[in-house]
Amino acid sequence: MSTLDPSLIVAAAPAALPAAKAASPTKAAFRQFLRSPSGVAGAAMLLVLVLGTLFGPLVYPVDPLDIAGLPFTPPSADALLGTDYLGRDILAGLIHGGRATLMVGAVAALITISIGVTVGALSGFFGGWIDSALVKIAEFFQVLPPLLFAMVLVTLFGQKLTTITLAIGAVSWTAAARLTRAEFMRLRDLDFIKASRAAGAGNAHLILRVVLPNALPPIIVSATLAIGVAILFEGGLSFLGLGDPNTMSWGLMIGQNRNYVLDAWWAVTFPGAAIFLAVLAISLVGDGVNDAVNPRLRRR
Amino acid sequence: MAPVLRVDDLSVSMTSRTGELVPVLENLSFTVDKGRTIALVGESGCGKSMTALAIMRLLPDGFVITGGRVLLDDEDVLTARPRRLRALRGNAMSMVFQEPMTALNPLYSVGDQIAEVLRYHRRLGRADAAEQAVGFLKAVQIPAAEQRAQAYPHQLSGGMRQRVMIAMALACRPKLLIADEPTTALDVTVQAQIFDLLAQLQDETETAIVLITHDLGAVAELADDVAVLYAGRCIETGPAQQLVDRPRHPYTSGLLACVPHLSVGTARPEQWVDLGEIPGMVPSLGARGPDCAFLARCANAGAICRSRPQPPLHDITAGHAVSCWRVAEIAA
Repeated sequence: MSTLDPSLIVAAAPAALPAAKAASPTKAAFRQFLRSPSGVAGAAMLLVLVLGTLFGPLVYPVDPLDIAGLPFTPPSADALLGTDYLGRDILAGLIHGGRATLMVGAVAALITISIGVTVGALSGFFGGWIDSALVKIAEFFQVLPPLLFAMVLVTLFGQKLTTITLAIGAVSWTAAARLTRAEFMRLRDLDFIKASRAAGAGNAHLILRVVLPNALPPIIVSATLAIGVAILFEGGLSFLGLGDPNTMSWGLMIGQNRNYVLDAWWAVTFPGAAIFLAVLAISLVGDGVNDAVNPRLRRR
Repeated sequence: MAPVLRVDDLSVSMTSRTGELVPVLENLSFTVDKGRTIALVGESGCGKSMTALAIMRLLPDGFVITGGRVLLDDEDVLTARPRRLRALRGNAMSMVFQEPMTALNPLYSVGDQIAEVLRYHRRLGRADAAEQAVGFLKAVQIPAAEQRAQAYPHQLSGGMRQRVMIAMALACRPKLLIADEPTTALDVTVQAQIFDLLAQLQDETETAIVLITHDLGAVAELADDVAVLYAGRCIETGPAQQLVDRPRHPYTSGLLACVPHLSVGTARPEQWVDLGEIPGMVPSLGARGPDCAFLARCANAGAICRSRPQPPLHDITAGHAVSCWRVAEIAA
């Protein structure tokens, strides 16, 4: 196609253009996130927790499974946060247990979202019998009480951290699937999807490059919150005695010391506070992300 | 020379809730040659958009093509395999939609969206495609194309977006462009610009255009041929100028009478005439019998119209065909 005479185009251009170069939606959302005080506070807390679990052992080189003193030593100079019922150091437990807890949270959330988005995308995009079949499967998982179901899975396949992570993912993907399905159904019939199809796009391209990016905002938010839920789940399982006894985690610390709450408050309070702070931080981040990616919800 | 697009006896039906087939489009035939434009006109619900979607094989769920052929350069689109179909769409045939506000993906810059079509169909590299995209934005007369290529759809006006849509549709130099009411959502001043742009680009690219519109003014200006659709049937077809000047079907004359003409300043107020209207509505789907679909609304309907089914299109002059029993009497 021969273009027009360039001089004409220049003449037609308004003298001063407004800054037409705009930030990409991702950058714009990130900037918006930085403007949310609670989101930034949550991110900072989370950063402290993550750095603490990563670099804590360098600063405080105590093995969390070693006996560091007498059982139930109160917080003192020897053991900064006291010891548990076996005389293991609580602070060392917090540092090392944090890794496992945060890792389980992140990986389980990843599994949750991966399964959920895949199932939701396929069923929302294609509809028809694919949708019916997938919704039936999702409903099967939904009617089982998640904690009970996870307990069964962990009991069956062994009290290992990997099993626990997989079990958490397996019981909690349905919410993400429903969310994704709804978004896909909403977007499926929009004009720009039709236009993409008219431009030759196939189903895979439409799902991955056209519909999914537009469905992402609520999915990102739910992924963030899913980490918090997974951490609570791990805590719950450990509390019920189904944690991995060979890997220190915050949930395991609470679970093992729960009978001695009245004698040694520090043994459960500190890991409990750690879980509380982690979940709070993640929720704040989730809220911040939500405000950043859903501009319409921002003004309340 | 074979026409770029030949639509033969195309019929489309909708599957109703009870599973019956309700005709939406009946035995539609037309051809478009290289560099020519055919306009499909008619009220809402006459099957214009369904024709466009059927040609692109993009009919919504529940609509099925029940017969006919659609030949694009002698290749039957209706029997093409999905893979071949994807290669044709956007490359050999493309479409401009009615709503520029919603037909662009809000998450990608407009330059990226045009480049993507080129990368997919032309296998261009990222840089080449981006460069050509800017070229196309210039070709559709978007000022400061280099900067605009980085812009997101929400930063552009409706007219700009429709230009982007046209650039995207023409990026692979398709043989056929279907424009489904490309100016309905735009300001009147912008409408004229878009039609001018289409005409100009058509001169350069020799693309065949199927223009779907209510705007009979545009028809006279842009189209070479016109097919008037009513209730899913073609009731009059012929060269644009002839059809607009001397419409033979009462429905076509009715439509033309509904086009406003500016009288302010050219005639005294007492000479102004009211804008015409066609009483009644298009019969709804499923309520269309074998008799003339326009019968109930036609001021000229006579005994012959009521007693016989709708006549097939028959030529009255070369290339001008009408489906009306009383065409000879009305013309007189």
